Amino acid sequence: MKFGIFYELSVPRPWDGESEKRVYDNALEQVALADELGFDSVWAVEHHFLEEYSHCSAPEIFLTACAMRTKKMRVGHGIVVCVPEFNHPIRVAERAAVLDIVSGGRLEFGTGRSATWVELGGFRANPDETKKTWDEFVRCIPKMWTQERFGYEGRAFSMPTRAVLPKPYQKPHPPMWVAVTSPGTEIDAAERGMGSLGLTFGSFKEQEDKISNYRRIIANCEPVGQFVNNQVSTVNFLFTHEDTETGNKHGRRLLGTFNFLASQLVAARETYPSKSYQSLGLLPTLRREAAGPGDDAGVPEGIAIGDPERVLRACKMWESVGVDRINFLLNANETVPQEMVLNSLRTFAKHVMPHFQDSGAQAAAAGGGGR
Amino acid sequence: MPRYGSMADVRAFMPNPPEIQTFKIEPWKLKGAQIINLLAEVNGEKSDALLPKAMHPSIPSYAMFNVTVYPDSPAGKFGIGEVRVASRAGVRPRGFVLRSFVDNEAARRELANRWGYPVAPGDVYMRTFHDRVVARVSSQGRVVLELEMLDRDYISGGDIQYLSSMHLARNKADGKLILAQIDPEWTFSRAERGRPRINTFDASAFGAGDNLVVENIISVSYTICDVTLGNIRYYCDPDKPAFQGTTQVAA
Repeated sequence: MKFGIFYELSVPRPWDGESEKRVYDNALEQVALADELGFDSVWAVEHHFLEEYSHCSAPEIFLTACAMRTKKMRVGHGIVVCVPEFNHPIRVAERAAVLDIVSGGRLEFGTGRSATWVELGGFRANPDETKKTWDEFVRCIPKMWTQERFGYEGRAFSMPTRAVLPKPYQKPHPPMWVAVTSPGTEIDAAERGMGSLGLTFGSFKEQEDKISNYRRIIANCEPVGQFVNNQVSTVNFLFTHEDTETGNKHGRRLLGTFNFLASQLVAARETYPSKSYQSLGLLPTLRREAAGPGDDAGVPEGIAIGDPERVLRACKMWESVGVDRINFLLNANETVPQEMVLNSLRTFAKHVMPHFQDSGAQAAAAGGGGR
Repeated sequence: MPRYGSMADVRAFMPNPPEIQTFKIEPWKLKGAQIINLLAEVNGEKSDALLPKAMHPSIPSYAMFNVTVYPDSPAGKFGIGEVRVASRAGVRPRGFVLRSFVDNEAARRELANRWGYPVAPGDVYMRTFHDRVVARVSSQGRVVLELEMLDRDYISGGDIQYLSSMHLARNKADGKLILAQIDPEWTFSRAERGRPRINTFDASAFGAGDNLVVENIISVSYTICDVTLGNIRYYCDPDKPAFQGTTQVAA
């Protein structure tokens, strides 16, 4: 099991000239600490126009800053919106390659298609087309990275033969992932040999079945890249504190704030009837998780909130159903004070990470994180 | 935290709201309803003023232009045309009803008395053609809303997502102004979408004054479905955030 951290970069109103800088600065401080503590990766979303909820529209730049402040952590570009109105695939390939080079080969490349009308409508993208364009992007980008020259006549885009430069530092190319939000996307991921960048949705049993299905299909996949990335990652919340009441209280506040912010956004399905968006996507899925039936402390099952013992139990349960990585959301709208976020990371590294093999904690947690 | 509605005075917006006599309402099962529902982004800086302080504007702000014809009901055939502003009651997506027009006086009385629906008399017209569906709402002989769905294209009822609505009404039991939530059940037998067009929209006729400015039309759908209008299950205090001011009606 590996542990990463994951950023939406939400910025609370009222906004002043310092609001966004404060959030970015706090995040970068957390990233530097997480690297010292032995967390494996830092991921950043690509979102546009999502007021308060996410001011992370240029994740490749934020991740470059992360790479410059860290030594070992991998940088997860997750996810890049594979819709041509948002990103031309050539630019995606180029930017990702540069990030891989400057990070010294630490890029994880996540892909997706956006699930909100705010974003799709903002770029005047056609919601009916996004699954198709995603498919085209993920087939072409690894070829742009690995072939000296690449030319293409396609549906979403075409290009005469050119050398797409630079090439990624990792050979043959960085691991590829797809965000799994809609039911069945885990099958898309498996069939293409891509990692499943999923959510903690459904019961553990349901999740176990999905992972088992993913593993079965990926064993016979036709990879879009030059290798198979057989990995399942989930997203979770993290707030832990040695004092149970403090852990639960601030953790529940984090869940509630995220839930509240996410629900204000208009999902594609809410406004645009389309077969392409049968589910509401990431936001309501996470929201359901965050609002699901709780234990005695009011914390939903499987959510990494509370004292270290409870958080350890939650992580062990995810490990037992076959999850390889958990990426944690550490804050929402800065509702948890920065010092408490940093302390939560240290507490997790000290009390939880050592219970997992390959978590990176063995070497780092014992002495790291002193600040 | 998210923005709140900024309606200056809900009482001034709706000085004489319909009065809900009781929350124990005999449901209406309405078969074969034809619904045309057009969604359009609106200027949020203005439309926030159309939402009570209990509600949050959606991101982005949008409005629902809805015309429904019920071929049969306990009050006979009737058509209703209304405009709602998309919002959130806490975390729940809801459409706040500005005004409705109904073309059947008996139905209008029933909707007002049973569900507290803010309905005015008007004329409602809907026609389907092979190339389009046209819906029109008139008040005092003047067209206040005309919608079209062009280039009809079949989709599945599963692709449609209607929102529950909320409207201002008075609770007879204590005389207080409330936001009543209506959450009908829809069973679709046909669903289509097409190219949306608004030919006429008189915002003032729907109580919006200058505050509902259409900026970007999103989509339109046309469905045939059975609709059940049931009990009011929740209502809110229009002046308090929904998290604090929501009352669940005993079943």
